[in-house]
Amino acid sequence: MPKHILRLVLLILGFLVIASVAVPLLTDASFYRFGHYRANSVIEIAAQDPVYQTPRYCQGCHAPRHAQWSAGSHKSVSCEVCHGAAQGHPQNGKLPIPADAVKLCTLCHEAMPGRPATQPQVQVAQHSSGQQCTLCHNPHSPKIVAAATKVAGDAAAGKQRAAACVSCHGVDGTSPNDTWPNLAGQSAAYLAKILAAYKSGDQKDVAMTPLAQALSNADIQNLAAYYAGQSCKAPARASGGGDAAAGRALAKNCAACHGETGVGGNPAWPKLAAQKPGYLVNALKAFKAGLRKDPMMAGVSRGLSDADIANLAAFYAGQSCQSTKQGKTTP
Amino acid sequence: MELLNNLAHYTGWVYPNETVFEWSLLIAVYPYLTGLVAGAFTVSSLYQVFGFQRLKPVAHLALLTSLCFMVFVPVPLLLHLGHPERAFNSTITPHLTSAMAMFGFFASFYVVLLILETWFAYRPFIVEQAQKRSDLLGRFYRLLTLGSYDLSEKAMRYDRKWIFALAVVGIPAAHGLHGYVGFMYGSLKAREWWSSDLMPVVFLFSAIISGVSLLAVLYVVTCKLRKVPIDLACLKGLGYTIWGFIMVALVLEGLEFANIVYKGREGVDMIMEYVTGPLLVPYFVLQMGVGAITPLILLSYMIWRGTTGRALIWGITLSAALVLMSVFMMRWNVVIGGQEISKTGKGLLSYNPLIFGKEGLFMGIALTFAPLGALWVISRVFPPWEDAAAPSHAGAH
Amino acid sequence: MKNDSKPSSATRREFLGKLGRATACVGAVAGALSVLPEVSAKTEAPSAGGSFPNKDYDWTKHQWAFGVDATKCIGCLRCAEACKRENDVPRNAHQFRTWVERYVYLEGEERAHIDSQQDPVNIEASGSEKEYRFANRYKDAKVEKAFFVPKLCNHCTHPACVQVCPVGATYRTEDGVVLIDHTYCIGCRYCVQACPYGARYFNEEKGVSDKCTWCYHRITKGLQPACVEVCPVGARIFGDLKDKQSPVSLFIRNNRVQVLRPETGNAPNVYYVGIDKEVN
Repeated sequence: MPKHILRLVLLILGFLVIASVAVPLLTDASFYRFGHYRANSVIEIAAQDPVYQTPRYCQGCHAPRHAQWSAGSHKSVSCEVCHGAAQGHPQNGKLPIPADAVKLCTLCHEAMPGRPATQPQVQVAQHSSGQQCTLCHNPHSPKIVAAATKVAGDAAAGKQRAAACVSCHGVDGTSPNDTWPNLAGQSAAYLAKILAAYKSGDQKDVAMTPLAQALSNADIQNLAAYYAGQSCKAPARASGGGDAAAGRALAKNCAACHGETGVGGNPAWPKLAAQKPGYLVNALKAFKAGLRKDPMMAGVSRGLSDADIANLAAFYAGQSCQSTKQGKTTP
Repeated sequence: MELLNNLAHYTGWVYPNETVFEWSLLIAVYPYLTGLVAGAFTVSSLYQVFGFQRLKPVAHLALLTSLCFMVFVPVPLLLHLGHPERAFNSTITPHLTSAMAMFGFFASFYVVLLILETWFAYRPFIVEQAQKRSDLLGRFYRLLTLGSYDLSEKAMRYDRKWIFALAVVGIPAAHGLHGYVGFMYGSLKAREWWSSDLMPVVFLFSAIISGVSLLAVLYVVTCKLRKVPIDLACLKGLGYTIWGFIMVALVLEGLEFANIVYKGREGVDMIMEYVTGPLLVPYFVLQMGVGAITPLILLSYMIWRGTTGRALIWGITLSAALVLMSVFMMRWNVVIGGQEISKTGKGLLSYNPLIFGKEGLFMGIALTFAPLGALWVISRVFPPWEDAAAPSHAGAH
Repeated sequence: MKNDSKPSSATRREFLGKLGRATACVGAVAGALSVLPEVSAKTEAPSAGGSFPNKDYDWTKHQWAFGVDATKCIGCLRCAEACKRENDVPRNAHQFRTWVERYVYLEGEERAHIDSQQDPVNIEASGSEKEYRFANRYKDAKVEKAFFVPKLCNHCTHPACVQVCPVGATYRTEDGVVLIDHTYCIGCRYCVQACPYGARYFNEEKGVSDKCTWCYHRITKGLQPACVEVCPVGARIFGDLKDKQSPVSLFIRNNRVQVLRPETGNAPNVYYVGIDKEVN
């Protein structure tokens, strides 16, 4: 064979030898172990730290809140959905409390074609007129289910017991003055609830507390049944000192629970139609000041000015309590 | 980060991840370059293996052209990779189920083959120059001799055998180098525009006509620059080759398109909307009409009328130039076009090439013309001209 | 032309000598080639007690699968955001490991209107490309039928993406998850082209291809993927097929499930309930 051919062949062979030595040297040690990939890659990926910690992690420090949440209708919504991932918490400080609830809550609850009917959803503008959702809804237990207490009282026995209430609340449940509320036709469940609250001390009122403490549970049931059975004869009369038209506009935000005109709505909450305006004003102010305790009402009334309160009172006072039309209810 | 701003506009419905074009201009330039490599080598082999004597004047030019373009072939790929420094992973641990893993092997095998064949073809010249020169270039030539100045009849016989063997093996090597790209596209079931059994063959035949056309243009241009008469028989031989292979290429491309339309699979509405809309000019007008049918008619006319002389030179040069444009459009229409049709079959995207940057228009043009610069340099070291003061080469049989 | 002018016996000896050396070389090369691969395969560190990838998790004991109940999805997109945070996915509106598609049929129309997170109208509704929200664009329209479909990597049993990777940077684990080795990927994007579902994208910053990993780093620790964890309505189900009582096993057993694009032969492992003729 000519010299140059031989040398050429040797050159090529030499290159092949170098290549065949180099390839295994350059190949990662864990390659080919399980297949055509670096086995160490699996180890590396599996070793990465999770960012989201799950609600169980939050429970470690936030047990009461966790308990409330896991008993409520948001138990399928992980804490970190609203508060952000908990990696590095609490070492890196607090997790954010979402400021704009409307922006956050409407992600799931804005009525949108395509969302299954089982998903609670609302037309945002009509539901809350731009108010923050958290005014009424506790994000950790958002369902407003004031479970209407079953009232199985005896109206006749209640009527007898009601003799002690006549001086303030009127013979037929229609109050003689502006301050004390009408009771006729009021929701039985609400009456039972509020009397029980006065009795137990959950609510405090100078007048009502001692009176309620004198009542037995059976009395409460009977009274509630009696007054609920009374037909409301209060005149729908707008009182001076408030702009009913302005009040109507504000009352849209109350419709979800109290009905559009103050009737209808969940029986756990009081009817407001044709209620005494003075009583309504005092009640709203008391909610606002925290003297009358209700977290939802506290939230709702926080943003109300004195003028707003007067207007609302005027509006509801001017509504007819005879209306059979059901107010707008939202689940 | 430039790609982040290069989001594609789209109509209809496309997957969110599709709004970035992953395979851009460079990936259309790459098969164009390998196609020119394969086509140029085909010309050389037509002479070396199949005995087309009339192509002798361009045989060595073809070899050098193939080599120069081959050197630049990895560049668009390296520019495109997210991690070019890891490019050798595909040769260290090639995943043999992947068509792309073949690139490393085809490319390295073929580039060695080209270097070897060039070396063998130029060996007498190298030996002569090694003995004659005493400058730096002389040292270069002496290195290339591998210490042997043997130009005896026995040695030349060996050389001829090697050249022939390399030219024979080089045909599947070069065509494999280009064909695997066609196979990569044709075997991809995710895109209806690409998925076709005919794709590798279409790529190959259009590669051949692009390479032959390139040689025709280069031959005419270099003769003009060197003020040397053009061998009309050689040029006409190239013309015949283009003419024959255009017909095959047109038939194959036509068949491929006809299959898509006739089978009417899911997504065909979008393909038809695309082909009669955004792709109408690039596909039917440029690639087919101006770039393939026009040269075909022109060449047919010249063959029929026996055109010769200056008219022949102009006719073939023009045809060759149109074919070169057409073949680039074919690569563009396949690579970019395929991505403009969404995988959903319900939407279309539109690709806007960048002008600057490593994936821009300027880079694409530079990559296409840089090999010509390399060719100019290498032709000074290894003159491909028949009529130069070079000794008789170890030609074919 | 110069010729060698030695006596023929000398050239023969020379030739034989060279032939002998050449044979020895070839023999050495052949021997090296046959031995080296075996030697190299044994140079990895011995595994700890046989459990892979770590002592707390043995991948031979699990076979993961995913379920999507499109009848439950409300399109809140908490999954898309959580995934990005969990997996450091670029915060933009065109690169997702998981996303949700909305299909809306308007009255009198045959074809659905389909949109997702990259739609400019939806980007405007959320206010930025970093947060995701569906714009309520059909609230005043006559909608006949509408629903949401979450999408993600299907972790196919015969993945086209794994087949086409030229280097072996993407692979399927023994427990059925398709992963990407970010230190080995060369960034050629062949896998991005090959995926029929559009599940992959190219991360320009890292220069590698990326996709959903079913949060492998979480599932190997007994956690759920981030998207499953945050879904408020249970539209995403995950579990171990080897456990007959796992959520996904029950899901598959109790429902008529289907997969996307079965004709590709990829054998995807995400099972859908409640999708529609136009979902692909």
